[in-house]
Amino acid sequence: MSNGLVLTRRAGLALAAGFAAVPVLTLPGVAQAAPVRGGKMVYGRYADSLFLDPVLNDANVDIWVMNNLYDTLLTPMQDGLGVAPGLATKWSMSADGKSLALTLREGVKFANGTQMTAEDVKWSLDRARNPKNGAWVDLVASITDVVIDGPLAVTVKLKHPDLSILAALATFNTAIMPKALFEATQGATDAEKAKAFAEKPIGTGPFMLVEWQRGVIMKLVRNPYYWKMAPDGKPLPYLDALDFQIIPDDSTRLLKLKAGELHGTEFVPYSRVKEIQADANLRMELWPSTKVTYLTMNVRPKLGDGSVNPLSDVKVRQALNYAVNKDAVIAITTQGLGTPMTSFMSKSTPMQHAQTLYKADVAKAKALLAETPFKAGFEVTCMMVAGNVDSTNNLTTIQQMWAPLGVKLKIEQLDNPTLTKRYRAGDFSMRTASWTDDIADPNQITSYFAYFPNIGSLHSGWDNKKVNALFETSQEEVDPAKRKAQYREIQEVYTEEAPILFLYESPYPVAFRKNAMGFVQIPLGNNLFEGAYLAA
Amino acid sequence: MNRGTWLLGRLAQIVPSFLFIGVAVFVLARLLPGDPVSAMLGDHATDATLARLTAQLGLDRSIPVQLMQFLGGVLRGELGDSIAYRIPVARLIAERLPATVLLTLLSVAIALALAVPLAFVAALNANRWPDLLIRFVFQIGLSTPIFYVGLLLLTVLAAWAHLFPVGGYGDGWRAHLWHLFLPALTLALSFAAVLMRSLRGAVLDVINAEFVDFARSKGLRARVLLGRHVLRSAMIATVTLVGLHVGSLLGGAVITESVFAVPGVGRLMVESIFARDYPVIQALTLVLAVFVSLALLATDIVQMWLDPRVGR
Amino acid sequence: MRAWLPLGTGLLILTAFLVMAVIPESIAPYDPLGFDFAALLAEPSAEHIFGTDQFGRDILSRTIAASRIDLQIALFAMLGPLLIGSVIGLLVGWFGGWADALFGRLADIVVTFPFLVLVIAIVAVLGPGLINMYIAVSCVGWVVYARLMRGEVRIQAQADYVAAARVLGYSTARILLRHVLPNAVRPVLVYAVTDMALAILTGSSLGYLGLGAQPPTAEWGVLIADGRNFFTTAPWISLAPGVAIVLAGLGFSLTGDGLQALLDVKR
Repeated sequence: MSNGLVLTRRAGLALAAGFAAVPVLTLPGVAQAAPVRGGKMVYGRYADSLFLDPVLNDANVDIWVMNNLYDTLLTPMQDGLGVAPGLATKWSMSADGKSLALTLREGVKFANGTQMTAEDVKWSLDRARNPKNGAWVDLVASITDVVIDGPLAVTVKLKHPDLSILAALATFNTAIMPKALFEATQGATDAEKAKAFAEKPIGTGPFMLVEWQRGVIMKLVRNPYYWKMAPDGKPLPYLDALDFQIIPDDSTRLLKLKAGELHGTEFVPYSRVKEIQADANLRMELWPSTKVTYLTMNVRPKLGDGSVNPLSDVKVRQALNYAVNKDAVIAITTQGLGTPMTSFMSKSTPMQHAQTLYKADVAKAKALLAETPFKAGFEVTCMMVAGNVDSTNNLTTIQQMWAPLGVKLKIEQLDNPTLTKRYRAGDFSMRTASWTDDIADPNQITSYFAYFPNIGSLHSGWDNKKVNALFETSQEEVDPAKRKAQYREIQEVYTEEAPILFLYESPYPVAFRKNAMGFVQIPLGNNLFEGAYLAA
Repeated sequence: MNRGTWLLGRLAQIVPSFLFIGVAVFVLARLLPGDPVSAMLGDHATDATLARLTAQLGLDRSIPVQLMQFLGGVLRGELGDSIAYRIPVARLIAERLPATVLLTLLSVAIALALAVPLAFVAALNANRWPDLLIRFVFQIGLSTPIFYVGLLLLTVLAAWAHLFPVGGYGDGWRAHLWHLFLPALTLALSFAAVLMRSLRGAVLDVINAEFVDFARSKGLRARVLLGRHVLRSAMIATVTLVGLHVGSLLGGAVITESVFAVPGVGRLMVESIFARDYPVIQALTLVLAVFVSLALLATDIVQMWLDPRVGR
Repeated sequence: MRAWLPLGTGLLILTAFLVMAVIPESIAPYDPLGFDFAALLAEPSAEHIFGTDQFGRDILSRTIAASRIDLQIALFAMLGPLLIGSVIGLLVGWFGGWADALFGRLADIVVTFPFLVLVIAIVAVLGPGLINMYIAVSCVGWVVYARLMRGEVRIQAQADYVAAARVLGYSTARILLRHVLPNAVRPVLVYAVTDMALAILTGSSLGYLGLGAQPPTAEWGVLIADGRNFFTTAPWISLAPGVAIVLAGLGFSLTGDGLQALLDVKR
């Protein structure tokens, strides 16, 4: 497992085109300061985690740090396009695609010193696929049973062939937890036990939690029993301790980094990236992501007040897409760090099919609009979460770009719960949104964006029978080539129908001090500190 | 009525006040659109997941039942669990309260240290250049948006000059004071301006009052007069203002706590409102009510003690 | 005599802003909403005295255009509490009794809630935007005015002329409106003028949180908040609106001081 900065070639080119001061990306062991053991790294986060249970947790703020406490059987590769061994060292799928045999890694211990066994694996997977537990059940819905074949061997039985199962076993909700310890925890129900267990979680990950002041600071220390070895033959992690400080204000977080009180921080506002790159004491890291930013549109024929919804007409949606100059939006909001979307899923999602998406053409937009009953223009309101700088920038720019069409965009800033409520109820016209994948497979994003029976295609009301059928078939498809073709078609239909306003993909903007090295963020968003260290 | 009776009367009013506040905040919190579960689970959770968690948290029970549970819990001393963080509210508040209390006390101290001496200087030099300069500088402090002042102080004095840490709270008493100095200063600036103006007015009133001329004509030295009467009048005004201000400082230093990343209850309150975390909103309001009531009561008592005219 | 200097200076400043608010098009060099892709984040120069923002919009023009919104905020966010609070304070101060006791309790409760938090909560219920902000501020801010008015009315009620009027058989309404009110209202008006500056600051705090004026409307607080991500790289973005707020505050404060001296009002 590498501990250096590894970026895909495409991302590397994009970066090189953008700025001069991009750090030299190296493979481990090549012209980089040798890892130093010990020390405490302090990392600034913009929001705190809420609940550190792999199955019952809810949000990115939990998912992205969970892998520092827990491990999964397989791990996602750093380019997001495959899986590597984790707690399982070997695996093989049966010919009929319904039986996955896994060999478990020997000698893995939990942070309290107890041995990990096949029992723990079965119990964890059963818990993850229990429909009563949590929001992520769908990712492992195809599992019917987990059979223990031996002290270090399990077989996962599927009800139908599932080409995404490997990626699913590399996703956070299938993390392996200690069965005996969990069941011994106080509490009558699984939820109560999870709550108590999450106060002092014990996993097989590189770190363990020792102190947590909600909304303020999370303190982790090195797990002395961690199984993964560094290139020098001794166990990872290099760090003795890791602190997550919660600083919601962007400016304050960056000031702390510049003053040296933080070793690193996430979510650097795009407007400050150049400033960080110009600072000799700091290093900007732009990690390829699965993050896509777009505007969700309500495509139902009528709006809540009974009036006809202009966005229900596909030509209107296409016109709106043609009218927006994505490159200008990218220049203004992301300061050139983003790239236009080429499908509804990101480049880093497996089986993405890149297309030319609505190259800016105001004349064409006007022509398309003229073919609809709305050629005189109309007024439309877009909801956004109050105070979000990127959304403000995007919408302000788009407002200008739609004006020549006679489309008046009104911006409505709401707080998150109000927005969520109206969104789920379908009581909206448009809203700002972004998405990052939680699994290295296109099934999750497709089920949310395009597959109506799940959540109504992002609550937009877009119900395309062909796409629905294609998705259902792909979920049980045995042949990878056929599955790829199915996804290709789904993406092409989606682009043509344009139920969203496509905007851009953007990298994860993370900044570190010059001597803080070894951090990795994979396209799914997980923050990996196992190889992080503080150079002299 | 005598003072003892008055005090008892005031204390007796506290319980129904709190009951009213408890019910009021319960209702108001639920008037906020949206709900904590959908806010927490995000846009993409299925309706089934939402329903399950709602039931688990007891939020599907009828409003009157929930109200009874809340009030009953408060009387038993149980404040419930935070919906977002899933830990007891009491623990969450206990973690955050000290920072805010310390911040409040420190900012009042700084405000007094700035306002009191300068108010005297201004009053004794009324309408000459020291007075005008002082009033001008304080006016600037009063008129600048608080997040701008905070960010300025943070950037210049902390990040560039390294005189202070960049926000946060630190471990241990001395670290706390050092970390909280800049946010306390930020908060103190506008309060100091109000205080200074009020004190200056009070001092001027006394200086100009007829009885000073009268006493002078009797031969009493100006300094003695200034000392006793001005001080008393000034203290009354100051105490009133501090008492009124403590309440707003305790819960209202939201923006300062955000800019300086102070782990206080102001931020907790706003975060809870944005997360619709009902138990925290309710419990925190009651806790703040206790503090504010105590502050107001203390103010009234001190006023009563200082000013024989006040007795209600 | 002492009144005219502060009063004059204050009114001068406010008049300048009033002019900017009424005819911004004549004064502002550029369209405050106009993007200029060729001049994104431009430094202050001859073309753009206070530079441009991330969309290339001229900062000076936006600051001038924002005068209208901010003066509106100053007026309306003060007017609601003033009117509501004065009426309540007048009635409660005069009649006393259970109404006074109820007012006392209600006032204590409103005061318990931190001002900004309550405003945020009310805006969350009503939705963002300026009108809802005025409503929110009125719901919370009336207490101060009511308390002031009540205190003054109680003092006036003891005055000799009131006793005389009663003896003469004047109706309560007449005493209240023609005698008590004009005397009692003076300190309230002085406070109202200085409150206008506070109203602008409240608007800017809400703007910082995204709950005040909505984009692309220019409002000084929102302009300053927009500039906070460019604090060190493009500090001019926050500078002009910051200066504007301070000057406007100075204008209101000086006017209030002058008014206080003029009306011979004790603080």
